[in-house]
Amino acid sequence: MTALLEARGVVKRFGGLTAVDSVDISVGTGEMVGLIGPNGSGKTTLFDCLSRVSAVDAGLIEFSGIDITRLRAHDVARMGMSRTFQLIRVYRDLTVAENMHLSIQWGELGVSQLFARTDAATRRRADELLDFLLLDRLRHERAGNLSGGQRRLLEIGMSLMSEPRLVLLDEATSGVNPTLVADIADRIRAVNAEQEVAFLLVEHNVQFVADLCERVVVLDQGAVLAGGTPREIMDDPAVVEAYFGDPGDAAGEVEP
Amino acid sequence: MNAGDVSDGAAVPGAGAGRPAMLAGLVALAIVVLLVLVPVLPGTSNATLLTLTLMLTGTGVAINWNLTGGFTGYVDFGHAVWFGIGAYATAILMSLQSNGPQVGWPPVPAIVIGALVAGALAAVVGRATMRLKGPYFSIAMLGTFVAVREIVRVWSPLTGGGVGLTLPPYLNRALFYYVELALVVLLVAFTWWLRRTRFGAALVAIREDEVGAETRGIDTTRLKTAIFSFAGLSTGLFGALWAYQNTFVDPDIAFVEVRTIDAVMGTMLGGLGTVAGPILGAAALYWLREVLWAHLLDYHLLTQGVLLIVIVLFVPRGLVGHLDRRGTSLAELWGLKSPRRRRGPTARADAEGPS
Repeated sequence: MTALLEARGVVKRFGGLTAVDSVDISVGTGEMVGLIGPNGSGKTTLFDCLSRVSAVDAGLIEFSGIDITRLRAHDVARMGMSRTFQLIRVYRDLTVAENMHLSIQWGELGVSQLFARTDAATRRRADELLDFLLLDRLRHERAGNLSGGQRRLLEIGMSLMSEPRLVLLDEATSGVNPTLVADIADRIRAVNAEQEVAFLLVEHNVQFVADLCERVVVLDQGAVLAGGTPREIMDDPAVVEAYFGDPGDAAGEVEP
Repeated sequence: MNAGDVSDGAAVPGAGAGRPAMLAGLVALAIVVLLVLVPVLPGTSNATLLTLTLMLTGTGVAINWNLTGGFTGYVDFGHAVWFGIGAYATAILMSLQSNGPQVGWPPVPAIVIGALVAGALAAVVGRATMRLKGPYFSIAMLGTFVAVREIVRVWSPLTGGGVGLTLPPYLNRALFYYVELALVVLLVAFTWWLRRTRFGAALVAIREDEVGAETRGIDTTRLKTAIFSFAGLSTGLFGALWAYQNTFVDPDIAFVEVRTIDAVMGTMLGGLGTVAGPILGAAALYWLREVLWAHLLDYHLLTQGVLLIVIVLFVPRGLVGHLDRRGTSLAELWGLKSPRRRRGPTARADAEGPS
């Protein structure tokens, strides 16, 4: 498995606080990796570094063999990395459909397409994704009028519109009802299997991670605490201590 | 509620389809025809034409301001600087005064160059100032405006300093009127079209969430600088025309804060980020100003200030925004179609019928 995303020694500081402390992480082509850790462990900050929303203070980030450490966020997006946000970012004053239509692969657009309306193929793709996410009836609704969970789903749909090779999902299941969480897991699995799309998931829903991921990375206080299969992670006393607090409590409930 | 009329609005939600839209188009056409006929109507004086021309100028500047302020969400408090630069560049080229360069260009190339100079400077300034967000951008543009005016005042060998520059007279009011009317109509059509393109939608995306837009592959810096430069060029063109029409420029009449304020107020009154908003708002504001000036001379500026506050407080979306969130539907603007209610997620979905 060749590494699609390879980050080495990533450091991000906010004043005196080192939010991400020399983190190494890699995601292979078509791989599903979970990223877990207690609140404030640096998961979202790491996402911001990887997707180039934040500048890194040190380290190297490569995406499909190209150094992206100094590239701008839209360049990285055009190379095939998409993401969602813990604090949802949708275009609130635009409709659900417009939100989707604006999440296309911009790198492939010529000037004439930039000054054209959304084409039929894009509309079909958006409709198909909205159908799946049960948002089809809200197609013409202002995104700002959607509930938190619906916005979360919309953002997932937007992250898949550009046919990415790697999707960073930041707490994709928080605020989404349990039946839909299972459907989302199925969809992610399908997208992963059919199109070899890799996923890196930040999650608090450990069952979701255990169901989907072959490999889990645990962050604690900005540094990688452990890495391995979900089973190995659950059995690691250091992880149990940092993440679950009380050993022997949560770990037993998860069946990888 | 005839929401069904929106039909397949997937690509262009809010684009009124069917008969109401056609009616709205006819009403708009009738207004344009009426405006075209004004100069040949009996009883139309030069003064009336001048007033209407200045009203068109104000409308044009408001439409341009709306491109950055309304669509992209970058509230520019120094937009009038491009008007002044366009005016001065044209005046410098056309002027035959001893203190100006002895050029004396014919009007058409001078006006075109005037607009291009404004556009080029807007591209340079925008590249720097559009890195700033929110109030910082607004203040940087206000600073740009003041700085440019002082540079013009001090750089007398080129600009004639505080004395100003005199242009050759050309007093055919009807011609200026028609040129500006054509420009405003073109600009409206352009804005209407732009809002429907991916480019226009991306500008709104920048307003709604710039980080989100950037991480989804939109080159936000490039798009917002492009629209800012275009708006500068277009306002520069109105400035260039104004200079020739006015046959005289000096720093204090070419660079006027009120021109920016009018554009902001007009756009907000009509509806920020809508197509029809600036047209309606600028015209209404101009008319209001005349009324206030005529009847409340001592208090007309105060009244305007109070009005601005009232608009922001009670009609933040403006006249058009009140009727149609996106302002892209002329049918809704003219009240020919009831505005779609968006109270909750289900209201609209139910109107859609089976899905």
